[in-house]
Amino acid sequence: MAEELKIGVVSCSGEDCSGGTISRLATRKMMDSIRPDNTVTICLPLFLAGGQEERAFAKEYPTIAVDGCKRACAKQATEKYSGKVNSVVFVSDLIGDEVAEGPALSTRDLTAEHQAMVDKVVVEITKKFDAIMNGKGKEATAPKGSSCGCGCNC
Amino acid sequence: MSTNKKINVLACSGMGKVYGLMAREAVLHTVKHLCPEQAKTLCLAYIVTGEEEALAGFDHQPCITVDGCPAMCSAKSVAAMGGDIQEELKVLDIMKLHKGAKPGTATELTPEGWAITEEIAAKIADRVEEIQKEGK
Amino acid sequence: MSDKYAVLPCNGLDKCAGQMTKEIALLLCEGTQNEIICPVFYRVADARYDKIAKENPLLVLDGCGTRCASKLAGEKGLKIFRKMTVTEEAQKRGVTLPTDTLRLGDEEIALCTALEDELSKEEIAAPVQVVQKVEFPAPAEYLIHKKDKFIFRVPAAGFYFSENDCWLQVIGNRARIGITDFMQQSLSDIMFFTPPPIGAELEQFDEAGNVESGKAVFELVCPVSGKVVAVNTELLTAPERINENPYEQGWVAELELTNFDEEKDFLLNTEEYMKILKKKVDEFHVNKQKN
Repeated sequence: MAEELKIGVVSCSGEDCSGGTISRLATRKMMDSIRPDNTVTICLPLFLAGGQEERAFAKEYPTIAVDGCKRACAKQATEKYSGKVNSVVFVSDLIGDEVAEGPALSTRDLTAEHQAMVDKVVVEITKKFDAIMNGKGKEATAPKGSSCGCGCNC
Repeated sequence: MSTNKKINVLACSGMGKVYGLMAREAVLHTVKHLCPEQAKTLCLAYIVTGEEEALAGFDHQPCITVDGCPAMCSAKSVAAMGGDIQEELKVLDIMKLHKGAKPGTATELTPEGWAITEEIAAKIADRVEEIQKEGK
Repeated sequence: MSDKYAVLPCNGLDKCAGQMTKEIALLLCEGTQNEIICPVFYRVADARYDKIAKENPLLVLDGCGTRCASKLAGEKGLKIFRKMTVTEEAQKRGVTLPTDTLRLGDEEIALCTALEDELSKEEIAAPVQVVQKVEFPAPAEYLIHKKDKFIFRVPAAGFYFSENDCWLQVIGNRARIGITDFMQQSLSDIMFFTPPPIGAELEQFDEAGNVESGKAVFELVCPVSGKVVAVNTELLTAPERINENPYEQGWVAELELTNFDEEKDFLLNTEEYMKILKKKVDEFHVNKQKN
């Protein structure tokens, strides 16, 4: 019996800008309600601090990076420790640089407008998600295998 | 140790557990409302990816890390990047004082969760003040 | 043989039960060589009590489930000879402790006397009950089951398991029990630990303490019958050890077995537990989505 496909979604944590909060909420929504059977969220802080389970998963399975701004921390970190990401969603492209790089946003201060931004990002993530599921994404559905050649186990 | 500049307060922002959200929100509350003139936060991931711009003003500056769980991602990452950690706060240490509390999920906090988050933020703010005084 | 004990009451000031620990401690020490350790002073000055606490069997008296005295003992790295929690003892005896006053009435004093009597009798019966130390070797190898990014470990050999996700490691007539990696991951960060009382005679499937995380309270179902001879006191102050290393540093209690030959038929070996584990992992995943 073939195991159902899982896709790792790595969100930036963006503690000092609104884009980070929007990224995080959109990624959580993928896991909570949009594609709960197939989404595995990868905790970026744990990933960076050496989380072996997160890194191993990202090496073996397709990944989507969701970045709050063009610094692209989620994408960079995934590529550094686990190999190329299959897709990237830049929140700043969807909601505008000025908003994404605006002051840090608490979940307590979310407005209807913010929720709409989250939904907009979710739509984009879902498109890329489904493309991978249907085999149309880059490197499609096959597990990646390790692309890190240095033998690091950090 | 210079404390003329703001103290860096860095949350783990863990995605998988409510405690990661509590760490994040506690830090935001501290730097936005409790001591905006004395403390600031930085993107943990941005510092770790090691850009020069990110590390400027971070290297060897006093830091407080706030971690949601024993994985201690913020403390580990900040230490690895040369941050001068003055305090490692753990959300779980505060949660242990609130047996039976239901703070919410990693997406959303309950009112109880917010109350405990504010308690954590107050603790951070106290520590920020102490560090500033120590530096004078 | 020692005829002197170190007595550490929690001395909690905000509850009747805490006040009672002081009374019991005073009763234990009057006219004896036993010595009280002041928990407040001990917190700030090791030198005063370290020698007394480490060189004499330690009796720990907690007022309530917060177990401040036990936690202090854990922080100081002390081996607890015997502990007692006043609220639990009151409940066993059907005594309701007052909540509207901190002063001890006749009923509370009578209970203090009874508890002191019980502790003193144990001292006379076995003044130094040094629990023979048994080495429990760490698993040489783990089998792994992976689901998504989660890895569940099960010792490859030398352990028994129950369907209630508890494990058992037997050396001679002694056994250690704990909770499995699957269960600790399901619970997530464990913050509270209530051990089974030392000396308790447990039947197979009796409750053997509990652990609590933000998600749930998990009662350990004892996999075998036996007398509790030791508990992992480190877990009182660092229950996260169970999350970090459930089969080694996270052990919960040690038992002197009483009926293992018959009871092991009800236990699972590694292979059998792995089958159950895989099923539970899949069901957990499905339930998570439904919720």
